[in-house]
Amino acid sequence: MTYLDWASTSPPDLGLLVEAAELAARSYGNPSSRHGPGQEARAALDAARARLGAVLGCPPGAAGGAPGGAGSGGAVSGGAPGGAGSGGAGRVVFTSGGSEADAIVLLAALRKRLAARSGAVHVVASSIEHSAVYEELRLLEGLGLEASFVDPGPDGLLSPASVAGAMRKETALVAVMAVNNETGAVQPLAAIAKAVQEASKSLGRRTAPHFHSDAVQALGKLPFEPAALGISSAAFSAHKLRGPRGAGALWLGAPLEPLQVGGGQEGGLRPGTESLQGAHAFSRAAESADAALEANLAHARTLEARLLDGLARIPGALALPLGRTAGDGRYSPFILSAAFPGLSGEVLARALADEGIAVSTGAACSANARKKGRRVLEAMGLEEGLGFSAIRVSTGPATAPAEIDRFLETAAALYRRLKT
Amino acid sequence: MEILYLVKIGEILLKLGNRKEFEARLKADLKRRLEGSVRRIEYFPGRIFVEAEPGKEAFVEAVLARTPGINGFARARRVEKKPEAVFAAAVEAAREAATSGKARFKAESRRSDKSFPLDSYELSRDIGARVLEALPGTKVDLHAPEFTVFTEIRERAYVYADPEKGVRGLPSGSQGRGLLLLSGGIDSPVAGYLMARRGLGLDAVYFHAYPYTSKEAEDKVIALAKVIAGYTGGLTLWTVPFTETQMRIKQRAREDLTTLMMRAAMMELSEKLAFRVGANSLVTGESLGQVASQTAENLRFTNSRVSLPVFRPLVGMDKEDTIELARKIGSFEISILPYEDCCVLFSPKHPLLRAEVERESKAYEELELGPLLEQALKEATKLAVPFGVPVAAPSA
Repeated sequence: MTYLDWASTSPPDLGLLVEAAELAARSYGNPSSRHGPGQEARAALDAARARLGAVLGCPPGAAGGAPGGAGSGGAVSGGAPGGAGSGGAGRVVFTSGGSEADAIVLLAALRKRLAARSGAVHVVASSIEHSAVYEELRLLEGLGLEASFVDPGPDGLLSPASVAGAMRKETALVAVMAVNNETGAVQPLAAIAKAVQEASKSLGRRTAPHFHSDAVQALGKLPFEPAALGISSAAFSAHKLRGPRGAGALWLGAPLEPLQVGGGQEGGLRPGTESLQGAHAFSRAAESADAALEANLAHARTLEARLLDGLARIPGALALPLGRTAGDGRYSPFILSAAFPGLSGEVLARALADEGIAVSTGAACSANARKKGRRVLEAMGLEEGLGFSAIRVSTGPATAPAEIDRFLETAAALYRRLKT
Repeated sequence: MEILYLVKIGEILLKLGNRKEFEARLKADLKRRLEGSVRRIEYFPGRIFVEAEPGKEAFVEAVLARTPGINGFARARRVEKKPEAVFAAAVEAAREAATSGKARFKAESRRSDKSFPLDSYELSRDIGARVLEALPGTKVDLHAPEFTVFTEIRERAYVYADPEKGVRGLPSGSQGRGLLLLSGGIDSPVAGYLMARRGLGLDAVYFHAYPYTSKEAEDKVIALAKVIAGYTGGLTLWTVPFTETQMRIKQRAREDLTTLMMRAAMMELSEKLAFRVGANSLVTGESLGQVASQTAENLRFTNSRVSLPVFRPLVGMDKEDTIELARKIGSFEISILPYEDCCVLFSPKHPLLRAEVERESKAYEELELGPLLEQALKEATKLAVPFGVPVAAPSA
């Protein structure tokens, strides 16, 4: 199998899974328990939190820090008051995955809406967010939230001005992803955060809205230090970087009132007995990815160049966004969308699968969806036929150049044969 | 208590000349479909009695509701031909029918054994009185009853209430065998159902354009074939590879003709397959004017490629009516699964609406599809879809 679908999920590191399973079996206590086994599990969980925090540039002991023991019961989390940029490096909350991390932030906006006696709660989000944000927001719109969706330019990038321009006095949340999962476009988060701050001032607001970023495709692949970007929170997923499914995290640099409280675990932000196994494996996978970041990035850049070069040699095939070139820092080299006009991306992906090559059409989660719309590509203003004919190729550290060649040869042959 | 069903047969009774043959078909068909689920099937003029194995009621009812030639059926009580026994059974049947809050009823009786002391009028009248007496709150309503207590005095006395409807029509296979052009859409399964109830045995053919159509699309067609098999008593599904033909049409045909040429090729392939499997007709889900290929002129052209009769039971139906039927037979939820054919790229933006047979036939000949069609038929695969029914009766 030639696996070029790393953005959907990555082959897990078996050694890490085993290590985590053994640790969880050994430290079986409930981290909320005061007895020996509980405290042992708590220590291991805190170590995992510190490990992931170090990768994110928020070492333990920083303001906000790791949440205390369970049972604090407070619905309002701690964290540095005044939001990001006030000196706190934030904290790490373990979740069941990226989607849950996103949902905690989005549902906090719903809570705000429910608590408000009158007055609107408004959210600004990009129209190219992952379904975890986009579809959830569409749902919340039906429950009383107001949302504005901002389109990227044809290059797949959002302009800070357009995000700031969509803000209102009552905007409570801004959500812009770090790296788009279909185009690889790296959004200018720092500039957007700055524009949001400035817009807040000119709107006469005392504070800026919460700025959340789904950074699932960024962690372990590109340098990503949330506190330095001026954002308030970021969502991560373990299985995109060779960790296990069912593990994710929310980095939080600002206070948040969650909609779900339960037993108060994870500083009251993510109730439910913690998965030590998931947290440990995630933190170790993130640590490994971070240690190899420069090397992996360089490797991805060579694969990207090979891919773009090869695509240019297939008559009719196009890299998306149109005009994307190798080494362009505005795009993650791990992700590339390519259009094969005249051939449905779904058909090409199917034919490639028959040849033992795994790629996808957009996000794997939306490939199952009823609608065939290519929301992200259409939001870029790409003509329908091009979006329809696009596939996504995504690589990882274990991808070999020969696999790229095999993909290119096979895709070229299939395209010649199946193009209509 | 025995689990007895009284089964009414309908249109067969009108067939004076070959009624015996129709009855024999229905008997054989029922026997096969109900095998292993019934203790006994008894045949009388106009009525069939089915005694179910305990625990098989739902299956038996689902079969009776789908077997062509059956007008209706009901759980029945079989009692001695004595007025008191009949009254007691009638009160019990009424009590059961009234449990769901129904109150207004009437009694209807038939007496073919004239030695029974009460005539049918007297019998209905007395049953009405007994029910009113035994079940306070019930009320006789001859015009709009909520339930009816039926009594039949024949070899024995039978009492039942609230009969279920059957699909009516003629016994399976009494009209020979047709070949259904089955796609994954809403229409063709309904067309198959409608012809199955006219007594047409069916095989089905599906045109698979892999990789343009997905494996899931094929699975969906198989699921639809299973629904139809519940009515026909089983069928054979043929899958004919269509990719090469489709590509040729796309490459050589004028753009506005692509759909029309594809339809013509499918008709031609279907007829060839029909001859091979001994089918006497083709069945399609076409409906006049529904899409561009279904104008009178275009149907005339696609018809011109074949000589077998083409049955289009939906031709005069509204889409809403078709959807209602699709829901009733249980195909709708399968048809709307998202795996449609990826033929979007093959459909012209402005298809030709008014084909001229001579002109379009020439265009069709120029495609030189002959060898491709032969090859497709050679590569056709068949799948036996055995008879089966979902154990819940159809929702409608």
